[in-house]
Amino acid sequence: RWLAAGSLFPLSCIHTSTSLQKLGKWEKKNRVVYPPQLPGEPRRPAEIYHCRREIKYSNNKMWYLAKLIQGMSIDQALAQLEFSDKKGAKVIKEVLLEAQEMAVRNHNVEFKSNLHIAISMAGRGKYVKRIRYHGKGLFGIMNISRCHYFVKLVEGPPPPPEPPTTGFDQAKEYVQQLRSRTLVNTL
Amino acid sequence: LVVLPSPLPRIRALLQRCWGRLERGLLPGLSGGQNPPWGPALAVQAPAFLPQPANDPSESNEAPRLLDSILWMAAPKKRRTIEVNRCRRRNPNKLIKVKRNIDVCPECGNLKQKHVLCGYCYKKVKAETRLIRLEIQKKEGGPFNTPTVETVVLYDGEKPTEKDEGKRIIERARKRPSWFVQN
Repeated sequence: RWLAAGSLFPLSCIHTSTSLQKLGKWEKKNRVVYPPQLPGEPRRPAEIYHCRREIKYSNNKMWYLAKLIQGMSIDQALAQLEFSDKKGAKVIKEVLLEAQEMAVRNHNVEFKSNLHIAISMAGRGKYVKRIRYHGKGLFGIMNISRCHYFVKLVEGPPPPPEPPTTGFDQAKEYVQQLRSRTLVNTL
Repeated sequence: LVVLPSPLPRIRALLQRCWGRLERGLLPGLSGGQNPPWGPALAVQAPAFLPQPANDPSESNEAPRLLDSILWMAAPKKRRTIEVNRCRRRNPNKLIKVKRNIDVCPECGNLKQKHVLCGYCYKKVKAETRLIRLEIQKKEGGPFNTPTVETVVLYDGEKPTEKDEGKRIIERARKRPSWFVQN
């Protein structure tokens, strides 16, 4: 059978993406394998990528939750999501718990609380158009919107928040910029 | 298939055209005060009150008012750019605020809000209450059979005390839960 396939139909040997649906870029990020670290190097913190696709929720509304979570430790994030009234909060909480579980089982993370959320994003899923009926025989076209949610957990305590830039800092930066100007195309 | 009329902007144009036609129909009547095509040119100084001018002021005022109000409805002048939209949507007052009233329940260890009962403990109590109510229903047998005495719930290995003399006793076949204190 393989002889006939090879000679007659060279293209039939290409894999089709029917099994398990095509893996997205975010799912493939977990497969990255780094070379072993040298003895002197600082320890590379573990990174866990997880996502959920085609959540029945609006992209824009999910963004607010993703923005809330950004930069928090996983415990704080779970606490905030538990008492949020939004529909997406429940979904994100499930995703975070799954990711935490994955971290402990597969990614050699020692303490499940020692994780923080480095990246949390919402993306647009496939939209479907439907008719929304108004009065007087009018109609509108409504979008059934879906979204994806992506999260990257990193081992370690959350990074301290940057102090907001004061006016003095901004002025210093401006003066620095002025001082670093040079003459172009001259001797 | 039924052809549905298209949404709002074309409806507006349609309405405007209708009103235009109506107005043109009314115009001979409107200008009746100045150039009546049928009315006589009265040299008499008495005011030429045609039946229409009585209605005309009201109608002539109403039609322009409606037509003008249609033209002067609030409508966006320019498309809002995505930068402007982002400034509005990402303004701090629209972002979700971080809640600072979350604590740990001392009984079960789950999270709870400070001013709200712990969800886990509440569900626990609710489940037990439901079972007690099922026992009560079995004892009563039907609606409107509630006795006019107090009820006491006794668990495994508990005897009614002197205080529970005249009360109705409900038996539950399990150990007394730690949170259900016996009087």
